[in-house]
Amino acid sequence: MVTVLGIESTAHTFGVGIVNSQGKILANVMKIYKPSVGGIHPREASQHHAAKAAEAVAEAFQTAGIKPSDIDAVAFSQGPGMGPCLRTGATVARTLSLALRKPLIGVNHGVAHIEIGKLVTNCGDPVVLYVAGGNTMVVALVEKKYRILGETLDIAAGNCLDAFGISAGIGPMPAAEIYAKQGSKIYDIPYRVNGMDVSFSGLLTASEKLLKSGVPLGDVCLSLTETVYSMLTEVTERALAMTAKSSLLLVGGLARSKRLCEMLNTMCVDRGASLHVVPDQYAGDNGAMIAWTGLLMYGCKQFINVDESFVKPRMRVDEVEVCWSP
Amino acid sequence: MESLNFVEKKVIRVGAEAVIKEAFWKNHRIIVKHRVPKRYREESIDLRVRKSRTIHEAKMLIHLSENGIPVPLVYFIDPVECVIYMQYIEGLELRNHPGAVERAKRLGNIVGEMHGLDVCHGDLTLANIIADENQGVWVVDFGLSGFNADLEEKAIDVHLLERSAASTFPTQTKKFFENFLKSYSETTGRDAAKEVLEKVKEIRSRGRYVAR
Repeated sequence: MVTVLGIESTAHTFGVGIVNSQGKILANVMKIYKPSVGGIHPREASQHHAAKAAEAVAEAFQTAGIKPSDIDAVAFSQGPGMGPCLRTGATVARTLSLALRKPLIGVNHGVAHIEIGKLVTNCGDPVVLYVAGGNTMVVALVEKKYRILGETLDIAAGNCLDAFGISAGIGPMPAAEIYAKQGSKIYDIPYRVNGMDVSFSGLLTASEKLLKSGVPLGDVCLSLTETVYSMLTEVTERALAMTAKSSLLLVGGLARSKRLCEMLNTMCVDRGASLHVVPDQYAGDNGAMIAWTGLLMYGCKQFINVDESFVKPRMRVDEVEVCWSP
Repeated sequence: MESLNFVEKKVIRVGAEAVIKEAFWKNHRIIVKHRVPKRYREESIDLRVRKSRTIHEAKMLIHLSENGIPVPLVYFIDPVECVIYMQYIEGLELRNHPGAVERAKRLGNIVGEMHGLDVCHGDLTLANIIADENQGVWVVDFGLSGFNADLEEKAIDVHLLERSAASTFPTQTKKFFENFLKSYSETTGRDAAKEVLEKVKEIRSRGRYVAR
């Protein structure tokens, strides 16, 4: 039995997870930085992580009911993410690795979102829609890599919805989706789909302009969320058609969106495909997903030396050799 | 449109956004491309998207026909139902054609001319190229095409074509692409072709656009 500890710290969440080779999640501790005003400030978030790290690690061991020496490896989020946040997590991971004399594993944050989704939903070999505050992409496993079939050409879908909510004074998601329920009229805002790529920045600007021009907040939120989710559903359907896969996995923070799930489900029903959605507790950033992916990498000895364990703020999912795929 | 008396025959292809059917109009064989409604989308958004794409594609086909590029002629447009009625091209998809390598020469001229008009196809795979019985080559499905194409978009066309050839007939890809490039650069001029090829290399290094 192999047990791996994973540390997540790409953005607002400092997470510590412990997972064993039976796929059992023994601990999944999260400490979330909440900015008093505006969006995430990278330095403040990293200071939050540094302050909470020791407590989170101790809590994880306690929940799992194991001793530090019982783990076989330490995994950490190597990227993509905010530099200062990533470095804090990496520092904690290196320290544990050296002190416990256990191998260190650098995990790609996006791959981790996908792998935890696969673990908990049992979805086979799916097309994956990964949508969150910092990432938006449609990927599928082809020849041992998660190939990016489509992605955002500018900002992430979650970023678009969060940024609108913050500038409108209602705060980040799920605020925009909640206010959308009060809306009744849909306004024309840019619908930018280019093949399997999407673009959200024009639509964010258009929504902010609508609000300033006096359109009720509910209507703007409704127009914004309906347009964003329609675009995502469309590119996902294209990816399903192109790859001829019949299973769809939705992961990332936006997997918590009821309306997005509803649209994807309608699309899947019409195509005869099955939809799998990562449960809420594993949708957002968490340590368990890093630990689980670390465990998969442990199986093919994808270790990293401490002196080479630089963080990669712009790391892409297709950089990772998925050595554990059959 | 009932008065036009289209007799729909059979479904040829079902894509992610459109259904392609074969039909007859006064004993004349035509293609019917119907962008079907999507239930997941709110109705007004759905109609806006389907309508604008139908009009865009029809405009593009007409523009290319007028400039002598072999694409299907547009007969009718129904912007309410989001349907384009167009010329039926007799022939075989290039991916199933035994003489594909030879036809690459003609294809190079056509894509070169199209790029000279600053038009990109957006989905230039062998399934969207038809070889007829008279050594001719036709390009179809302009649903993802664009006016005012930049270098990157032209390079994506060339890249997609190469990927598509590589996955269809791996052993003949090199010859196919050589033939294509020779006539492509004859049409666009060597400098323009060189620029596009440089960009193709860059796109290839990004490792995207796979599995078609």
